[in-house]
Amino acid sequence: MSDPETGSETGSEAGSESGNEAVPGSGQRLPPSVPPVTRRSFLFRLGIGLNAIAASLMAVPIIGYVISATFQKRAMQAWIPLGEIDQFPERETRLAKYRNPFTVPWDGTTADIPCWVRRIDGQRFQIFAINCAHLGCPVRWFPQSGLFMCPCHGGVYYEDGSVASGPPPRGLYEYEYQIKNGALWVRGGQTPTLSEPV
Amino acid sequence: MKLKTLGDWFEKRLQLEPLYRNSAGHAIPRSSASWWYVFGSATLICFVLQIVTGICLALVYVPAADEAWNSLEYLNYQQTFGWFLRAVHYWGSNFMVALMTIHMLQVFLFGAYKYPREFTWVIGCVLFLCTLGLAFTGQVMRFDQDAYWGLGIGASIMGRIPFIGNDLVYLVLGGPIIAGETLSRFFGLHVFVLPGLVILFVVVHLRLVLKTGINDYPIAGKPVDLDHYDEEYEALIEKEGIPFFPDGVDKDVIFGALVISGVLACAALFGPAGPNGPPNPTLIDTVPRPDFYFLSLFAVFALLPAYTETFVIVYLLPVAVVALFAIPFVSRAGEKHPSRRPGAVVGVLMIMTILSTLAYLGLSSPWSPHMDAWTRDPVPVAMVKGRSPLALQGAAVLQGKQCRNCHSLDGIGGQRGPDLSDVAARLTNDQLIRQVLQGGGNMPAYGHNLSPSEVTALVAFLGTLKPAGEPDAANAAQRVLIQ
Amino acid sequence: MTRNRPWTIALVALAAVSLVACDSLPGRPREADRYRLPSEILDFASLYDLRCAGCHGADGSLGPARNLNDPLYIAYAGHTAIRSVIANGVPGTAMPSFLDSTGGPLTAAQVDALADGIVRKWGQPARYAAAALPPSSQAASVTGDPQRGAEAFETACAHCHGSGGTGGPEAGSVVNSAFLNLVSDRSLRTTVVVGRRDLGMPGFDGYVKGRNLTPQEVSDIVAWLVAQRSEFPGQPYAAGPTLGTGAEKGKGRD
Repeated sequence: MSDPETGSETGSEAGSESGNEAVPGSGQRLPPSVPPVTRRSFLFRLGIGLNAIAASLMAVPIIGYVISATFQKRAMQAWIPLGEIDQFPERETRLAKYRNPFTVPWDGTTADIPCWVRRIDGQRFQIFAINCAHLGCPVRWFPQSGLFMCPCHGGVYYEDGSVASGPPPRGLYEYEYQIKNGALWVRGGQTPTLSEPV
Repeated sequence: MKLKTLGDWFEKRLQLEPLYRNSAGHAIPRSSASWWYVFGSATLICFVLQIVTGICLALVYVPAADEAWNSLEYLNYQQTFGWFLRAVHYWGSNFMVALMTIHMLQVFLFGAYKYPREFTWVIGCVLFLCTLGLAFTGQVMRFDQDAYWGLGIGASIMGRIPFIGNDLVYLVLGGPIIAGETLSRFFGLHVFVLPGLVILFVVVHLRLVLKTGINDYPIAGKPVDLDHYDEEYEALIEKEGIPFFPDGVDKDVIFGALVISGVLACAALFGPAGPNGPPNPTLIDTVPRPDFYFLSLFAVFALLPAYTETFVIVYLLPVAVVALFAIPFVSRAGEKHPSRRPGAVVGVLMIMTILSTLAYLGLSSPWSPHMDAWTRDPVPVAMVKGRSPLALQGAAVLQGKQCRNCHSLDGIGGQRGPDLSDVAARLTNDQLIRQVLQGGGNMPAYGHNLSPSEVTALVAFLGTLKPAGEPDAANAAQRVLIQ
Repeated sequence: MTRNRPWTIALVALAAVSLVACDSLPGRPREADRYRLPSEILDFASLYDLRCAGCHGADGSLGPARNLNDPLYIAYAGHTAIRSVIANGVPGTAMPSFLDSTGGPLTAAQVDALADGIVRKWGQPARYAAAALPPSSQAASVTGDPQRGAEAFETACAHCHGSGGTGGPEAGSVVNSAFLNLVSDRSLRTTVVVGRRDLGMPGFDGYVKGRNLTPQEVSDIVAWLVAQRSEFPGQPYAAGPTLGTGAEKGKGRD
């Protein structure tokens, strides 16, 4: 414990107490009663105060910078075209890919997001996120058995996305879709999790 | 004589002697210069090795999502000794986690966390968490498919936290998806924040070791007495204290050299880890697995009943961490020697058994479907020969409908469901049909995806699967009817 | 100084050895271990082991599905048909489609590699001239007659499959309605012509001692087998409302 600290915080009592306990005799170095506000102690307090102000001025941009992702990029949803609906045969489920619209130039392939497009019939679709509802691993579609299987913890889903077996707490995450001029659009933009399922 | 004068000249200016006396030369009980006391310094040696190799790797590695994977490939195949430094860094991390764990166990079993060394333990726990953080962020630096989906798992876990889950996901990923900012974030953590914290807390840890003295070798029947421990320890140092350097350091030095040799040998023999496929989420032919330190956690997520998962992840894990921190405050005094602390020993054995069993299970992942088994694992020849055309079609159905992804034949295939090699001795045809159509017991119902002919063929094939001489399964009603 | 000499030499030697030996250390990643995209795997052995061995057997024989290591089969089916079956599968049977444009996992180049590999590895074009074989179904100009087919079956097949095809001592039933519903006409024809020689079923040149089956007999037998199919296979309550396989597959769960 350094002297300026004890002096600035609680004055002599705390100082002498800790002094008695830790280093016998050190209490004698401190004045026995409340110290008068001297020029030195005033300047010291002024210094502390100025530094506190400077630190908070610095802290605002730093903290804002680090946590900006949470408030700036909220509700990142956009309509993204997946291509002509004719490329999705009826009664089949196919893998489709889109470029995430919220991207930086150095994202590389990580911004290519896959999803499973099930064309039930005609204009009726279901678009599932690739991520297993259990812990986000990529589920794979098996058309022969009509099941999605997850390679991580064995979650299995039926073709409509409902849980068939395994640990997932809910069915596959489903994106909104719309059909405009014969093209299929998906509303995506963020990795779905249990707290924000698309 | 001249040398001595020169030495004195420097000593007068550098004042190294007091530094030595207060640090490396501090007195330790002779009994503590033991082979049991080498793991902490070995962990520190691993950390130094990690810093050196980590700096080297950072000279080449590109911490950008689009180029990181390419630079790893470059390190592996083009950069001189690049693969070796990657391997040393990888094995160094494995050794560091392992040695740190052993160090913690030793400290716990020897009661070294007790009065007056509570804070040494607390700081050690902080170091433990920082090291696990380094391990996880390091796995992300190997920016391949495992890293990508590992982050996905991390995000999903955080997404389960109520209220702030989604904010945390955004905070950690640096955006709505795993992408460029995610890697940069983890690079910052792995290279600046966490190593900085480790250095800081290692300094605090070592200072506490110096100030409270190294733990005296525990003696059964000599409990820590809060009122007299300090005097006893001082007396012990008086009686048999030796300076740590040079008298007590020999075993640490030897073991440290062995550890470094072990890391280098593993690196030379087994090489670096990965990278496997590039971090492209559209490549879904992937089976993500974490590095070994997280395999047990990975297994927990598969084995917990689904309804307990969020509870365990969100509440129980933090409670376990708090409990780890609280150990020295719950048990401050009393016996140190493990032979007088059967509860502690049993607890350690239990936890280690559980963790290693889980890690083993995580490695083999019997709960995961084998995604390619249906086209890769042949039907055993003995189960093909002599079968009727219908049964052969049934075997083709078994393969073609991905049953094999979860069920094995003769031990080959998925392990999620039971091996079907003797299923005819366990289930009657009716039971087989019901199980296939309705599923149950963690098996999907296939009723909508099998035609009646396929079910008939499948059951005809399954009906042939039993060991020679074993009777067909029969239910009670059938037995009555037969009699 | 002299005392340290051996150490110095040893250290230098160690450094030299490690420099030289480093290239051949077992941990060094080999070019062969380098990650390849699944779509870049083009060698036949890897593709076959990953995508075909499950049903067609480890080395092209003794699997539940047709053995592919039979030169007679390859001569009879031909490269084009083999490629087309791999790419598009056989609807209604256990053979899935593998080409990516049909939702399968393989690129066109990989399908080519598989078809080429099967023909090159197991085909013996010199041994079987296609002209000497019964015509394959798409070329079949001979229409079969079920009536005559029944007789031809008794001559050629009944000694194994039993009279009427209901199963004999050496081979099981071929008139089982579920079985017939799971195989295509074309694969029935192929099996009649080529057999399953890995399982002891001879081809068209082995059923009757001393002579081959004629193209007419082949077509007749196939016609008779096809005639044994029932509309609602597999269940005794055939009259009830039943969904066809196709309709069933597209139906959502409710």
